[in-house]
Amino acid sequence: MRKRTVRSRLTVALVAGVVSCVVVVGAVAQSKNAYIGKLEGPEVVTDPAKFPKTFKEAPQLAALVKAGKLPPVAERIGQDPLVLKPLKEIGKYGGTWRAGFTGPADFWNGFRCCSGPDHLMFWDYTGDKVVPNLAKGLEMQDGGKTWLLHLRRGMKWSDGKPFTADDFVFWYEDIYKNKDLVPTPSSAMAINGKQGSIEKVDTHTVRYRFPEPYFMFPDVLAGSTELAGQMWGYRALGGFAPAHYMKQFLPKYAGQAELDKKAKDAKFDSWVRLFVAQNDWARNPDLPVLSPWKTATPINTPTWTLERNPYSVFVDTAGNQLPYIDKVVLTLAENLEVLNLRAIAGEYDYASRHVDLGKLPVFIENQQKGNYKVHLDPGDYCDLIIKFNLNYDADPEIGKWFNTADFRRALSLGIDRAQINETFWLGTGTPGSVVPADHNKYNPGPQYRKLWSTLDVKKANEMLDKIGLSKKDAEGYRMRADGKGRLRIEIMTLGGQFVQYTQISEMIREQWKKIGIDLRVQEVERSLALKRTAANEQQLGAWNNDGSEHLFTFPLHVFPFEVDAVASSGPLYARWFQSGGTQGKEPEPRMKELMDKWRKAFGVPEKERIQLGKEVWKIAAEEVYIIGVVGQAPAAMGVRVVKNSMGNIPARMYNSPDGKTPGISRPATFFWKN
Amino acid sequence: MAVLAPPTTPAHEPAPLALPEQRIFVASQWQLMWWRFRKHRLAMVSSVIVIGFYLVVLGADFLAYADPDRSEAQRSLMPPQRVYFFDGWRFAPYVHGFKGARDPNTFKRVYVADPTQKVPVRFFAEGFEYRFLGLIPTTRHLIGVDRGRDASTTIFLLGTDLQGRDLWSRLMYGTRISLTIGLLGVTMSLVLGVVLGGLSGFYGGITDTIIQRTIEILRSIPTIPLWMGLAAALPREWTILQVYFAITIIISLLGWTELARVVRGRFLAMREEDFVVSARLVGCSQLRTIFVHMVPSFMSHIIAATTLALPAMIISETALSFLGLGLRPPAISWGVLLQQAQNVQTVAISPWLMLPAVPVIIAVMAFNFLGDGLRDAADPYGR
Repeated sequence: MRKRTVRSRLTVALVAGVVSCVVVVGAVAQSKNAYIGKLEGPEVVTDPAKFPKTFKEAPQLAALVKAGKLPPVAERIGQDPLVLKPLKEIGKYGGTWRAGFTGPADFWNGFRCCSGPDHLMFWDYTGDKVVPNLAKGLEMQDGGKTWLLHLRRGMKWSDGKPFTADDFVFWYEDIYKNKDLVPTPSSAMAINGKQGSIEKVDTHTVRYRFPEPYFMFPDVLAGSTELAGQMWGYRALGGFAPAHYMKQFLPKYAGQAELDKKAKDAKFDSWVRLFVAQNDWARNPDLPVLSPWKTATPINTPTWTLERNPYSVFVDTAGNQLPYIDKVVLTLAENLEVLNLRAIAGEYDYASRHVDLGKLPVFIENQQKGNYKVHLDPGDYCDLIIKFNLNYDADPEIGKWFNTADFRRALSLGIDRAQINETFWLGTGTPGSVVPADHNKYNPGPQYRKLWSTLDVKKANEMLDKIGLSKKDAEGYRMRADGKGRLRIEIMTLGGQFVQYTQISEMIREQWKKIGIDLRVQEVERSLALKRTAANEQQLGAWNNDGSEHLFTFPLHVFPFEVDAVASSGPLYARWFQSGGTQGKEPEPRMKELMDKWRKAFGVPEKERIQLGKEVWKIAAEEVYIIGVVGQAPAAMGVRVVKNSMGNIPARMYNSPDGKTPGISRPATFFWKN
Repeated sequence: MAVLAPPTTPAHEPAPLALPEQRIFVASQWQLMWWRFRKHRLAMVSSVIVIGFYLVVLGADFLAYADPDRSEAQRSLMPPQRVYFFDGWRFAPYVHGFKGARDPNTFKRVYVADPTQKVPVRFFAEGFEYRFLGLIPTTRHLIGVDRGRDASTTIFLLGTDLQGRDLWSRLMYGTRISLTIGLLGVTMSLVLGVVLGGLSGFYGGITDTIIQRTIEILRSIPTIPLWMGLAAALPREWTILQVYFAITIIISLLGWTELARVVRGRFLAMREEDFVVSARLVGCSQLRTIFVHMVPSFMSHIIAATTLALPAMIISETALSFLGLGLRPPAISWGVLLQQAQNVQTVAISPWLMLPAVPVIIAVMAFNFLGDGLRDAADPYGR
């Protein structure tokens, strides 16, 4: 009997051992995705029948209402709340969310976490479908030439004043059309280069009129475009502005002399500088806003604090006014190393911005100690791209090679992407061209991932020999065709970014030795980079094309689109494009074709647009204006470190600047479980 | 420590003396210095270390067994490898082969030695091509592996960095650059110091005032910010070689002041000495008076001061490069190697990347002790 027990125990132990082994093996087999979960997120409820009938609020706001300092919650929210269905559960009020930021230039940090986002329309959690956001709805009329925007009744600015169509008309008439404030009109307000207009229909209805059909308009209002809300206030853009507050900073209402004096007293060069500083969501705590949190201590102090907006229009399905978390405190980190150290030590509650992929093993190792969990959110874009400046003319020979397609292709073939992926992406990336992830609707097809984007030193050498670069010097580097010595090209990189551009470029320099190309890596500081690009002094530029997964709302790393970019594939082409062909330089035929297709897509229905989008990417991959290196990895803000006790955290988020990730997961619904 | 007993009898009446004492009387200045120096044990040891370091400078490419720029992702962040010296009882150094893969759970690269695979380590083996002492083209290296194998894929004495480059070989090249920068810098400040200090002390008056005030102003500025300012002013598009020389000049521009002070003091003291006055009276030119008669008499001091200035130079280069203002990759120096190690993952995952700090410490201490010994020796009569 006893013996049997022992034996049966042994059997149990054996079976248990085998089972656990199987489980472990299974876990290991699956574990490539152990940190990459299922894409999920909260949803916007649009059916008024499902709206909550009564509202609740945070205890400190209830106290203020009791003291007579605030109107009751239902009055503050209005008749048409913006209802969010939290990802997992209804949360609890209270607590602080601690995170880090790197200084006044890091304003995207707050926009991403805390602005709501305050776009008029926005994306669902998949980043693909446009849903109503601050606006109740958008109505197409007149075959796409006219759009009616319906506002929420009773919605208010953070100071309690109503948010109405007047705020749109004020922005359009007094700000956007003022040449001092907005010197170059925004392409978001234009279709095929022709500007549209904004007018008031009634208190809660705004009409946009365009000379031609503008089918992309809902996407433009949803994406991080210049009509995207108050984040662009510092550039006097955004699509609307608090008229009752901002009027005091306009000469038309305040009087020129008085305003000049005010600007001088506040130590600004001009009233324009004063205006944009006052219209800055991150810098002016007095600015009325529409976001769930509002700036309490500004970004140019060591702690950027954001507090709940008592007039927030965001509510959950149970009628709780959002956000759940009282306060967001971003502390200044002297450098990225310090920021990462604090995150590893568990001093941040939620961090993904500036978290270094290279430190992933350290983050994983410290999960228990820091009481956090690591998630990976790979993006759909390329984390490292190399742009050829097609307008480079300081050295005509180099400019000529940059405009030779086979030269660009050969350089792309000379990169050993597998090495770079293993070293700098810890093997998490996908090597390939600039085209977005295969599941992206504008992806032209799987063959374009590898087009001119695999390592082929032999072919690259043959191509370079053939185009007239066959002469080499004693060290094996190719000589210039004009006989002025070795062909030296430069790449401009920035330090302190999400991706280690300088170090990776140094690896590429070693790899290009094999194809006889002498690359010089120059790390510069951001403002110098902007200056040099604008002055057309940049040769090659390293950057990432995050945002390009939304080809039509974030195209600046697909072709020369923005004049002031840190790395450009042609600043003169960009000027030509933005000015509608009056300034800059006319692009070569293939580039022009690409630009035409992109522009045309705004005025056609979705099906045709998708086709045009695919063609844009086809040209980009075939011509290699930009070399894609490694992408679809969590390098840019994709390593997410979240405290275990924070609730409603998705297993995976759609990682995109257009979705203001984590904004797309609605941080207003995050809460503290204890 | 009485090195020298005072003479007890007049010189014209030589008394029988013990042999060592007799030696002292007839010894030259240099001999006296050598004897004195030998008594400073630490300085003796240090001088051996310093000579060792400069041998590394000369033979960096011989001592390195892998091309310091050759990267390979498949051996990224390998820990230092164990070398087995005896195979059984026979002295036959070997290393194990290894297999590397990335752990999908921790995202670390894990390397496992394969004990069945023994790779013999050979001396004077063939490796990458270089010019020994910059002259003789050769492929021989101090250590390596059998023909047909590549040492850079098998031996990792100090492990590898993120890009899979061999740390030992990089350290050898780094030593070369860091120590020559120190030497060049000191030479330049020596020239500046002797000339300006000499002028100042020899002429006195307004020349002296101007030079001394300049020195005071220079010395009153905190060094690190001043270096940073000057280094930041270097054009970014300069080649590595240009930056290298510019950094040397920057460092030495500030290093000369101390030396100039010492030289000036000696000049002031010596200006009125009989032998200087005589030299002038017999019509020696000023230059001849300075360089033939005065400088040799305080040469020993200069040597000591120079040796003591060297570690400061090395530290400054390392500090500047560490701050990212001095040399930049692809140049390899101690500072550059350390700069690449200044991150959390190095401390947590690959601590061997901090090893380049060790030679910095050793070199600086060795130079300091050596300088100390030389200073004592420079004044053999001192106590």
